[in-house]
Amino acid sequence: MSDQAPLLSMRGISKAFPGVQALTDVDFDLYAGEIRAIVGENGAGKSTLIKVLTGVERPDSGEMTFAGERYQVHSPQHAQRLGISTVYQEVNLCPNLTVAENVLIGRAPMRWGITIDWNRMNRQAREIMAGLDLDIDVTRPLGSYSVAVQQMVAIARALDISSAKVLILDEPTSSLTLRETQQLFEVMHKLRAEGIAIVFITHFLDQVYEVSDRVTILRNGEVVGTYDPSSLPRLELVSLMLGRSLADLDDMAKHKMETLDRISEEAFLQARGLGMSGSVQPFDLDLHKGEVVGLAGLLGSGRTEVARLLFGLDRPDSGTLDVAGSAVDDFSPAASIKRGIALAPEDRAAEGIVADLSVRDNIILAVQANRGWLRHISAREAEEIADRFIKLLHIATPSADQAVKNLSGGNQQKVILARWLATDPQLLILDEPTRGIDVGTKADIQKLVLDLAEEGKSCVFISSELDEVLRTSHRIVVLRDRAKATEITGDVDEKELMTSIAGTNA
Amino acid sequence: MSAVARSLKSSLGDSRLLLPLAVLGLIFLFDLIFIPGFFDTEIRQGHLYGSLIDILRNSAPIILLAIGMTVVIATGGVDLSVGAVMAISASVAAILIDPRKVGLTLSGDITAVVGDPTYSFMPLPVVIVAAMLAALACGVWNGALVAYVRIQPMVATLILMIAGRGIAQLATNSIKINIFNDAFSFLGNGFVLMLPLSIFLVLGIFIGSWLLLRRTALGLFVESVGISSRASLFAGINEQRVKLFAYVFCALCAGIAGLVAVSSIKTSDANVIGLYTELDAILAVVIGGTVLGAGGRFSLLGSVLGALVIQATMTSMYHLGVPASAITVVKAIVVVLVIVLYSEQARDVIRRAVGRTGTRKQGASA
Amino acid sequence: MTQTLGARLSNSRRFLPLGATIAMFFVVYAFGVMAFPAMRDSQPFFNLLNTAPFLLIAVVGQALVIISGGIDLSVGGVIALTTVVTAALLRAEWDPAVVIVLMLLMGITIGGVMGFFITYLKVQPFIATLAGMWFARGMCYVISDAEIRIYDPTWKTLAGVKVLIPGLADPVAKTGSYITSLVVIALVVLVVGLFLAHLTRFGRTLYAMGGDSGRNEQSARLMGLPVDRTKMQVYMFNGLCSALAGLVYSIYVGSGHGSHAMGMELLVIAAVVIGGVALTGGEGYVLGAFFGVLILSLIQSLILYNGQLSSWWTSIFIGMLMLLFIGVQSVLATINARSLARSTAGGMKRPRTAPWRDRRFLAGAGAVIAAIIGITLVGPLTSSPQTTTDGDSAILTGDCAPAESRAAEAEEMQAAGAAIVYQRFGGSDCVDQLYGLYPDGRVTGVDGTQTVEAQVEPSAVADLVTNLEGLGWFTDEMYTTWHHPCAECYTYEITVTSGDQTKTVGAVDGGTDAPAKYWLVKTRISALLPETNGAP
Repeated sequence: MSDQAPLLSMRGISKAFPGVQALTDVDFDLYAGEIRAIVGENGAGKSTLIKVLTGVERPDSGEMTFAGERYQVHSPQHAQRLGISTVYQEVNLCPNLTVAENVLIGRAPMRWGITIDWNRMNRQAREIMAGLDLDIDVTRPLGSYSVAVQQMVAIARALDISSAKVLILDEPTSSLTLRETQQLFEVMHKLRAEGIAIVFITHFLDQVYEVSDRVTILRNGEVVGTYDPSSLPRLELVSLMLGRSLADLDDMAKHKMETLDRISEEAFLQARGLGMSGSVQPFDLDLHKGEVVGLAGLLGSGRTEVARLLFGLDRPDSGTLDVAGSAVDDFSPAASIKRGIALAPEDRAAEGIVADLSVRDNIILAVQANRGWLRHISAREAEEIADRFIKLLHIATPSADQAVKNLSGGNQQKVILARWLATDPQLLILDEPTRGIDVGTKADIQKLVLDLAEEGKSCVFISSELDEVLRTSHRIVVLRDRAKATEITGDVDEKELMTSIAGTNA
Repeated sequence: MSAVARSLKSSLGDSRLLLPLAVLGLIFLFDLIFIPGFFDTEIRQGHLYGSLIDILRNSAPIILLAIGMTVVIATGGVDLSVGAVMAISASVAAILIDPRKVGLTLSGDITAVVGDPTYSFMPLPVVIVAAMLAALACGVWNGALVAYVRIQPMVATLILMIAGRGIAQLATNSIKINIFNDAFSFLGNGFVLMLPLSIFLVLGIFIGSWLLLRRTALGLFVESVGISSRASLFAGINEQRVKLFAYVFCALCAGIAGLVAVSSIKTSDANVIGLYTELDAILAVVIGGTVLGAGGRFSLLGSVLGALVIQATMTSMYHLGVPASAITVVKAIVVVLVIVLYSEQARDVIRRAVGRTGTRKQGASA
Repeated sequence: MTQTLGARLSNSRRFLPLGATIAMFFVVYAFGVMAFPAMRDSQPFFNLLNTAPFLLIAVVGQALVIISGGIDLSVGGVIALTTVVTAALLRAEWDPAVVIVLMLLMGITIGGVMGFFITYLKVQPFIATLAGMWFARGMCYVISDAEIRIYDPTWKTLAGVKVLIPGLADPVAKTGSYITSLVVIALVVLVVGLFLAHLTRFGRTLYAMGGDSGRNEQSARLMGLPVDRTKMQVYMFNGLCSALAGLVYSIYVGSGHGSHAMGMELLVIAAVVIGGVALTGGEGYVLGAFFGVLILSLIQSLILYNGQLSSWWTSIFIGMLMLLFIGVQSVLATINARSLARSTAGGMKRPRTAPWRDRRFLAGAGAVIAAIIGITLVGPLTSSPQTTTDGDSAILTGDCAPAESRAAEAEEMQAAGAAIVYQRFGGSDCVDQLYGLYPDGRVTGVDGTQTVEAQVEPSAVADLVTNLEGLGWFTDEMYTTWHHPCAECYTYEITVTSGDQTKTVGAVDGGTDAPAKYWLVKTRISALLPETNGAP
């Protein structure tokens, strides 16, 4: 399985972006004929690693060698020519063209050098797809096929272009059924037998155990290590992935215990059998006033989907939702805000900040929306509100007029929090609020959550960082594979929590 | 002094109004040098006359269009049908003032009123309201297609652009309708306080629009929807209603523009009114700094300046004796220059130049 | 080739828009045949092509541009510019072959310049081609304010050549169904377009680039396709098509002027959309655009045959058809997206589709189709009054009415052999003119109470008659339109005699739905008339 010398080698690779160190001194070796899984939570550096590998980003320091020679790559096409191909989660092909075209466009066989020989192209494409054990009609448009098939086509193209030596698959199974995943794995095995090295990025731990030869774990931009899955218990894998952070646990825990008594018996929100097909299976959930409920689980376990349902972004197929005693039948963000529910979304850039607007405008946006277009918030009042929260949350900005896109990620997150706090919500849902944020700010946010609870508000705290969840939550709901797995209350051990998250075959 | 100059320079340098002001300044500089007597303003018959007045007056329709278009472009869309809406509102007004022109026979002794300058079939307020209602209907149509049926703005408004003119021509039986009503033509030709009435009208609409957009939350919503409609949704903004508003607002502005245009030339020719004006309006907004296609932050004043730039260019060309139709060549060149100037590379160059002179001054005064 | 054709036809969903367009064409044509017996002949079908060869050429280029995700608003301007430059060069006695090549090069250059701005300076296609349009139209007037007529024999020949359709015509007697040489050129361009789109890398790259409102372009680049180069090339090709369309237009109309092809870019885009090409790019077929032109032509013809509908209904119908086809496109996109979502397992977010949209679209489509059929066949919805009682007309025309003797005088002129009889009355200054132009160059007539006599070159009259014939005076394209005379409008009655053909066509100049060439005719005739107080 492993040859003497690695096919691909990275030494001391570091990469920083404004405000965040994405990779720190990474060493990575890849051998021909192996399937290497790369795992890590969000912000661990997986995608940056791949970007550096394929020439999308240049590393700040470090060296790479490929097939024995120094490897410096300027663009993805260059990497492809050299033999490193990538297939992304969003299949970067043209759905309006046929399968055959997608596989061969740019290299289609020609007749007399002028016209495309469709017959030959279709035949060639069929052969290539057959090589992946896929027998499909190559003359149909790519878009008429499922994502699974589209991925196969992307793989076929990637392999065919140049005798590829390394194939990188970025989260390939996110949109696949069980059967399709099996088919993909068979293809991967076949390619491995041909000597191709496959890098397999995934957050599905089952699949790591099922198909990979070795697994590399990344955390906070560093390589934790490379292991053989057959000798790595699942629980240990999870604990290596999630790790511990540096903050002081004791103070927080004390604070949290104090607020435990203040939790009211009254349920602010009650969900019964609430679910949406294709998103999350029906679940029950009670949220009491003054309570912080943590949603824990791995990436893809359905945490964001739960948040979306609670906030009214998605319309449930089944079950009921009661807020402050009355049943909810109009599901929309605006209606939820009126009821006192607020959601700080996971995708800050696309769903959170309004990039070109000022900090002040971003902060008052939800309040203004709630008041309606006619009742304008005067400049003075807006300034007041903005200044209050800038001070409260220690938002670092030269002025409230600064366009929010110029702020660091952490400060942007604070602006979004300010926006929601300004609406004086009864329930604040935070989806990964501390991702990509410096440690000091993380602590600030966690403290803020507990303060809210003290005031009698409810909070749902979603995070991949277990220590955070443990520190701030009175109760933890564990999600697994898009369903609610268990609920853990009281003082709980990190190990117990990780066991829940990891699942039964720990 | 240097600190003040520095801060002034930096705020101007950041301000999006700098470029249209600069372009306008360049045009006036050009006029000053090459066109003698361009800036002469005299008082005749109690009214102010002169090229500057001409520019202000003739630009009334396009300023009105630009104001409306700004809001639509700010939401990330575009409205190609404003010219057709102008034609529709003008036709409705013309018909209601004198329906005999389209073949409706009326009872009573009509001989007396032919050519009567006070004659209007419907009272003028009704005429104006009816024309605006027609424009409103157009706006609702466009807005519904874009916001609810989710058709691309360019495509959706293209439909009304093509069909709307046909509707206007149909309604007027495509006859050029001359309008004698004095009160109505006062709209386009009258003078108040020595200045053409249309200037005050435009000023009024500008102020009204500014109040509507900046003294309510509408402007903020429009910008938010244009920058990120998803984030706006999360914040509780009803993105669809905001877009609907934008297209209705734009159509209403076009309706007013149609009335002004028809009253100033006293003739309603559905074939020709507003033809190609949508392109002028879009250009005015782009010059003013609002970004076409992406939307987001907008500046009404910038669009007004942009409209003035276009009008000033055309008037200058008139004075130079450039044949009317060849002016479009100049317009094309101006477009190209503006676009190149607005490109990222040019902005960087400008910023660096401004920055450099700043430090040099500082060194000298120290 | 047939094998792949069959395979491709089986991908029915992709061909739905194209199929819808073609089906719509035949359905409407069938209605036309049922309603208007004149359409049962084969010539009216070919006339759909004969009256729009320039459109056919222009849509080929535009379809490719739109498929690649761009748009070109300069088409009308470039066509006009081509006619003007052509006419000017021919007048200066340049060799026609050189002129043709030069014009094509000019078109390619203009397209190339716009393409450069779009591709490398990242200017939006809308704005760049808008500037191109202004530039081209402006240059027309810089070159010449007045219309320049083309007398070049090559041009005249091409204008007149009729290609008989085998099987439907009698070559010996030289009668029967025909298409013009210009249509043949258009068909050649169509074939070239089809070839490029389906059989060349260039064409496939266009499809790859378009689509998904620009996101496909990113993918295409990542796939290593020469996106920038292809973009330049497609705008250059479109410039070539526009110039060629301009050449054809100059032959068709026989002159060059900056006012030619006004608004044609809209017609071209409408035809492309109706033909099933998505304005978002990546979808659609050049053949569809071709049928789009046929449909536009058909609508125009039907309205003419109906005779009672103002021709501005054309614009309204075009708008409605566009709405219909855009609806089809978006519904198909919805269906595709939803079937895709169904075939993937959990993990995918629900596509943002609304089932109610289907029902609304169907209702809307039904309404549109019903409206089209109803309006075309059931009868006039707007009145276009033919005559009025004397009392009314006096009021409406003010005091202006032609002297009673005019009709008789016109008859006399006719009988005396006048080649052209020209009558004009009305207007705010109450003009009342009647002129006769004779083959020997005599011009006699009355202007109000004044009698006028003048003399022009006999050849001028003969040329004029030939020219008018060339403009289609004796064909179906020239027809009388009538509106309620208005106090400020001039009313015209023009009779032209050539050989044994005589035809009278009347119009009112406030009624701007008269055949466009009518005004050309009037201008040319009045150029020969003497200037009097009521200058013609």
